[in-house]
Amino acid sequence: MPAYRNVIWWYVQRITGALLVVLLTMHFWVEHFMSKTLMRGDLSYDVILSRISNPWWQGIDIAFLLVALLHGLNGLRNIILDYSRVGPRMTQAITVVLVVLGVMWSWWGIHAFSRL
Amino acid sequence: MRPTTTTNVVRKYSWQFSGMVAHIIQRVTGVLLLIYLFLHVHTIGELSQGQAAFDQALLMFKNPLFRLLEIGLLGLVILHALNGIRLTLIDLGLGHKRQQQLFWALSIGVAGLIFLIAAIPLFIASVLRS
Amino acid sequence: MKSYQVKIARSSADGGITRIGTFQVALEERMTVLDALFNIQRTQDDSLSFRCACRVGMCGTCAMYINSVPRLACKTQVSQLDTETVTIAPLPNLPVIKDLVVSLEPFFKQWKKIKPALHSPNRDATEPAKIPATSRYARETPQKRDCITCGICYGACGIKSTNEEYLGPAAINKAFLRLMDPRDTATEERLDVLNEERGGVWRCHTQFNCTAACPKKIDLTDTIMRLKRSMLFPSGFKKA
Repeated sequence: MPAYRNVIWWYVQRITGALLVVLLTMHFWVEHFMSKTLMRGDLSYDVILSRISNPWWQGIDIAFLLVALLHGLNGLRNIILDYSRVGPRMTQAITVVLVVLGVMWSWWGIHAFSRL
Repeated sequence: MRPTTTTNVVRKYSWQFSGMVAHIIQRVTGVLLLIYLFLHVHTIGELSQGQAAFDQALLMFKNPLFRLLEIGLLGLVILHALNGIRLTLIDLGLGHKRQQQLFWALSIGVAGLIFLIAAIPLFIASVLRS
Repeated sequence: MKSYQVKIARSSADGGITRIGTFQVALEERMTVLDALFNIQRTQDDSLSFRCACRVGMCGTCAMYINSVPRLACKTQVSQLDTETVTIAPLPNLPVIKDLVVSLEPFFKQWKKIKPALHSPNRDATEPAKIPATSRYARETPQKRDCITCGICYGACGIKSTNEEYLGPAAINKAFLRLMDPRDTATEERLDVLNEERGGVWRCHTQFNCTAACPKKIDLTDTIMRLKRSMLFPSGFKKA
């Protein structure tokens, strides 16, 4: 039986969604509810820098970005496919554009960390 | 034969069904969150430009309008996440027969609850600070 | 007898809703929308066009958009609409021929795409095929076989309103029935059609409009979701 590519993306959307719920809760907790930020007042340069310089946090943040982009851009692709009247060639082109966008966006995010 | 056109006599029937409302919510919040992600990565990128640039950005975020937008963002995230959980459950075959109740209970009820639990401390904290 | 105001979306023979015809009709309590339409056509405006055949909810011909929900006109009692204004429009997502008459061509085009006929390897068999009541086919499909191809699910679908290539719930349901049938052999071709990027099962986004609107109460969204889930291991279709 040939493998059906599209089913993978259907599962990917759900799995990344579940992953994002976890990652987002963690991210939100660390950013807003951990005592350092809440009690010291507003998020400031020092507080954020001290955490982001830690490579473990960087890793988690990058993973978060990549998973979020996968989920978000796949979702965007679905929306475009639903509302456009385009042929198979154009569909492929749209997919390529979104992939390139994802790669560029990821690079932009990772690069932000590497410049610290 | 030309395709049918709708007039205002034919109301958007889709709004009668919670499944359709959930679908629209999911898509709209999803796109808005993507836009937010863009802005977020941009702001974090500013960090690398040094303290002065970052503090400039942070100043903008202390504006009460921004605070409100942040709370709105929280609402968007929670809505999208909980409706997403509902959809995943239904896709796995659980709660299929009760998708309508699941919508009201999960996507609206639980979402509202979590929103209040998360938003109120944040709101209080920001009010106390200013 | 109660008086109802009936608003009908009228259009001329070259398509497109051009005006709303408003009529006042006196109806008995258990009369249906179809009765109202006959009344109007006979006593008030004989240029009104609509389709019907069996009048008892079996043929699916009188499907139309009644008070914002696609329904069978012969099965919709006006008293149950809970309002004195009945708004009737042609079934959405389909080309309008005139007034309430639509062309079901696109619907059947999708229907034919999934090869609705049984492709049996034993076409010359003289013995009937035996399908035990305990088999998956017998257990899981009875409630899905009642489709009368009325087109209501097609008209109800939110995706169909923007996507011309989407197969639509009825076609997918039929494909599912054939895939589950142990006698059928056209599995590969049907799976290919169902997996298409632009029009296959992946275009369904579980809006549940079809399931809510189906006059035969077929759980269409369930069918589509089962297909989606099983695409990971498509060979599972033929297992007993």
